[in-house]
Amino acid sequence: MRSFPVSDPGTPDRRSPARYLLWIARVQAATMAGGAAWGVVWMGTQALMPATIGRAIDTGVTAKNTDALLLWSGVLLGLGAVQAVAGIMRHRFAVTNWLGAAFRTVQVTTRHATRLGATLPKRVATGEVVSVGIADVSHIGNSMDITARGAGAIVSIVLVGVILLVTSLPLGLVVLIGVPLMAAVVAPILRPLHRSQRHQRDLQGELATRSSDIVSGLRVLRGIGGEQVFAGRYREESQAVRAAGVRVARSDSLLEGAQVLLPGLLVALVTWIGARFALAGQITIGQLVSFYGYSVFLVEPMRTLTEAADKITKAHVAARRVVRILNTEPELPDEGTRTEAAGAMVDRPSGLTVRPGRLTAIAATSPEDAQAIADRLGRFTDDEVTWGGTPVRELTLPAMREAVLVADPGARLFSGPLREEIGGRSERELRDALYTACATDIVEELPSGLDDEIAEGGREFSGGQQQRLRLARALAADPEVLILVEPTSAVDAHTEARIAGRLAEHRAGRTTVVCTTSPLVLDRADEVAFVDAGRVTATGPHRELLATVPRYAATVTREEEP
Amino acid sequence: MTEDAVADGPPRIPAHDRILPVATPAQVRAYARRLTVAYPGQLALALGLHGLAAVSGLVAPRLLGELVEDVRHGTSHWTVDRIALTIAVFIVAQGVLMRYAVYVSARLGEKVLARLREEFVDRVLELPLSTVERAGTGDLITRTSRDVDVLSRSVRHAVPETLIALVTGAFAVGALLLVGPLTALPCLVGVPLLWGGTKWYLARARAGYLWENAAWGSVTAGLTETVEGARTVEALRLEDRRVARTNTDIAGAWAAERYTLGLRTVWFPMVEVGYVLPVVATLLVGGLLYIWGLASLAQVTAATLYVQQLIDPLDRLLSWIDELQVGGASLARLLGVSEARADRTPTTARPAGERIVLDDVRYAYRAGHDVLHGVDLRLRPGERLAMVGPSGAGKSTLGRLIAGILRPRTGSLKVGGVPLADLPLEDLRGHVALVTQEHHVFKGTVRDNLLMARPEATEEEAATALAAVEADWVAELPDGLDTQVGTGGLALSPAQAQQLALARLVLADPHTLVLDEATSLLDPRAARHLERTLSAVLAGRTVVAIAHRLHTAHDADRVAVVEDGRITELGRHEELIAARGSYAALWDSWHGGPVERDAVPREA
Repeated sequence: MRSFPVSDPGTPDRRSPARYLLWIARVQAATMAGGAAWGVVWMGTQALMPATIGRAIDTGVTAKNTDALLLWSGVLLGLGAVQAVAGIMRHRFAVTNWLGAAFRTVQVTTRHATRLGATLPKRVATGEVVSVGIADVSHIGNSMDITARGAGAIVSIVLVGVILLVTSLPLGLVVLIGVPLMAAVVAPILRPLHRSQRHQRDLQGELATRSSDIVSGLRVLRGIGGEQVFAGRYREESQAVRAAGVRVARSDSLLEGAQVLLPGLLVALVTWIGARFALAGQITIGQLVSFYGYSVFLVEPMRTLTEAADKITKAHVAARRVVRILNTEPELPDEGTRTEAAGAMVDRPSGLTVRPGRLTAIAATSPEDAQAIADRLGRFTDDEVTWGGTPVRELTLPAMREAVLVADPGARLFSGPLREEIGGRSERELRDALYTACATDIVEELPSGLDDEIAEGGREFSGGQQQRLRLARALAADPEVLILVEPTSAVDAHTEARIAGRLAEHRAGRTTVVCTTSPLVLDRADEVAFVDAGRVTATGPHRELLATVPRYAATVTREEEP
Repeated sequence: MTEDAVADGPPRIPAHDRILPVATPAQVRAYARRLTVAYPGQLALALGLHGLAAVSGLVAPRLLGELVEDVRHGTSHWTVDRIALTIAVFIVAQGVLMRYAVYVSARLGEKVLARLREEFVDRVLELPLSTVERAGTGDLITRTSRDVDVLSRSVRHAVPETLIALVTGAFAVGALLLVGPLTALPCLVGVPLLWGGTKWYLARARAGYLWENAAWGSVTAGLTETVEGARTVEALRLEDRRVARTNTDIAGAWAAERYTLGLRTVWFPMVEVGYVLPVVATLLVGGLLYIWGLASLAQVTAATLYVQQLIDPLDRLLSWIDELQVGGASLARLLGVSEARADRTPTTARPAGERIVLDDVRYAYRAGHDVLHGVDLRLRPGERLAMVGPSGAGKSTLGRLIAGILRPRTGSLKVGGVPLADLPLEDLRGHVALVTQEHHVFKGTVRDNLLMARPEATEEEAATALAAVEADWVAELPDGLDTQVGTGGLALSPAQAQQLALARLVLADPHTLVLDEATSLLDPRAARHLERTLSAVLAGRTVVAIAHRLHTAHDADRVAVVEDGRITELGRHEELIAARGSYAALWDSWHGGPVERDAVPREA
């Protein structure tokens, strides 16, 4: 058996969903073939069992021949043993195929998501990619898994068909026409069933959303009251789910009944015709028993074929989503060739100049303007920004990302050991970054300090703590140009004052841009650029602007508009 | 390979102290018993129908046995036709009975399920305040989503399937015995294999599948993080790390899958052989009995077919047993919620007045680690008190104590002479309410979100409350107050959510309000404006505002500086400025006044 994950998932065929599925099947062709082979042996042995029992009854029991009875019982036991071995081997190969497809899909999706970067949230809904990880991989896996049993089903249907036709042409025809006919008759029941199931799933999903909603807001609810309103609403929706469940049960019970009735009637028909033939001496008693067995047995491979059709259809839908994501391309062209730049950065649209080695603060009347400037400087949007006189577009994107780091409030903490998340080239750099961001105490409170595993999004930390950890991470990355957007908006004034002082020291001699309106931080900047309506209208030290530009003073001291 | 796979089992999950309890097996059994007898009529009907369906299903093999016997001895067409027709009649009966049996039991299942989940939500809504505050939402969310789901699966599928299997199996065994005890005996050869194998498997399966689920959960979570943080991944060049994380997750999922596959590799063949052995034994022994003249051909044929017919219910039983176990575990977690100990034992004492007084209040989240060290504070009715101080100093804890959510470890905290923590929850809400920066927009209309505390409030009162928090945007919504918001509806910004939370509080109208960073998500200037409007509306109410923005302190009647679990400075803004303490230093640097560098707040 193989091992996962494969080191290189390969280049998927993303021309169409079907081609994607075929690509998956092709790259794991060996185990797919193994699964199919064992599937054939497994179902084949099952197909031979009724015939064996028939022979045992004919040549052993009715003929009162102990040797023949022993022989055929032995054959039956042998078939049972082969079936058990083939069954588990088929299962192992099928699971490997399932996992191979699921894991490979997760790998190519992750790889592509990292390649898309900032483009991803703009082009594809998060939920769509996440549902690849949850539901689509299972559907794609299922389509690979079913091939093993599917192959067995096809072969056993052919095998049984041959046995039946050779034994008795008319009886064989009854069975071979009757079984698919049954499957066809069941189909119309399936449609309303699927419809009511979908309806029930939707309602159930809404009910689950409602209960998660109640739990997420439980603190608010317990704090201020209103439990009865919510309990009542939940009960209403719960009863709607119940009603939908009963509707599902109505179609489902019809199906269950039909699945007993239809094969049963076929068995009765076969038994009746068979008994008549046996009475006329056209077939033996053993053959009658085995016909009975076959009409019971054939239901299984027929069901498998229906299941296979269903699974492949669902996999096709799932693959369509995967292919759509894989076909999304990054929106920023990466056509630059230069790998280095130096000097002042100039943002034409706002008229801002960022001097190298200095701490520049941007105080904007509207926070959106500051974020837009940060995005342009960091080349998350393409615009007229030059660095040392040359457009930043001429730099390769990897070089740009290495040189300039934009740390915005929307940045995300990833789960894993805190040490790895903060980063830094050395323990010292890591500690320095934590110190500057006033995050040392956060780490000290953790049971295992830096080795603690943090949860997704750092959700065990308060908003202010998350912000300080994100700041520490940005500082530890130690880029040539560091652009911080509102780095201290969620921390208290005491801590903010402390961070402002330490930040200036930490980044001494390095190019740093801080977008903020906090006087505590502005006061520590080498130079402040006041941005009003998207344009730089004044520059200078904080105190000078405070004294000479009334609009600036109003913005940063948060007085109401003059 | 199988041996290896089974050898390294699932990792031991560290037993961390659970805040929310889990019901004991005895409690779960008692509850299940109560549920079972809650609807006796419907249960009896379901069981009866299943039983009749099973009996009808057992007629065909028996009749086939007779048919074989008759054909062997030569009989008339008429007899053959009659027997075949009887078989058909019973099959029709079985089909019809099965249809109603499935319907009736599913209807009962849905009823039980609805009751289970509604009772659970009721229990959640009764959780003690302090438990809710401490437990966080993670565990509860898992219980409401995953456990309710698992239990639904159990009640919808595992319970009826096991019931059907038990009924059908019991009748098949009965029929087998009726055919003849001698021909029934050989089928016992399968029992040791089935019993032993399944016991071995079940002992390991649950932990294995929990491990597998957790491992897949990690794969999904990893992908979700990569996608949600895609911009961060690009900005910090974390591409390789994210790919590595996925590979680690996949390796984890593969290890878990290999383990459960190993378990099945042992169990499946044992079960398969366990199914086929009785068939072989019945055929062989039955055949010999026939040859020796101890059994008829009809008996041998019918017994062989019955043994084959036993495979299906057995298989159902075995494959649903572990699902039942998992369902039981989920039920234990759902029932456990009601075991959370009540945090207040209300007394009948009623407060005389609105004055809140704190005397030498100490508090510890963990024994031996006080976070508040003897706080004395007298709130003046109608005053606006601002609390400032470095994070971690204990401001929020103090706020929760004043709001009556936490009970002081020592010292006293009284409203009108009565300990706050002794008030019934309904009364407490009439006295003090807390709004934090943690906001939540409930799924529903804006009106629902507003009126939850006072469903009887009038349209006018709602409009006044919205105006008080300057939520003009509500009027501009497509359906005004009836606009759907929250999950699945219109997404409100955090600032809008905060305004709603405040409007809710204005409607609830307690005499004392604790605002813990309640305007922190608003644009700074808007926040200040809102606070001023709000204080006009709340005139006469006592307001404790915990804030990190100094203008809140500036606008307040008094300022309390909280440092290291103590109130270090208390007084009017001007008094504290004049005192030249740490508040004054902070104010100066914030306001661009003369900065004395050494007066900047001391380092932690």
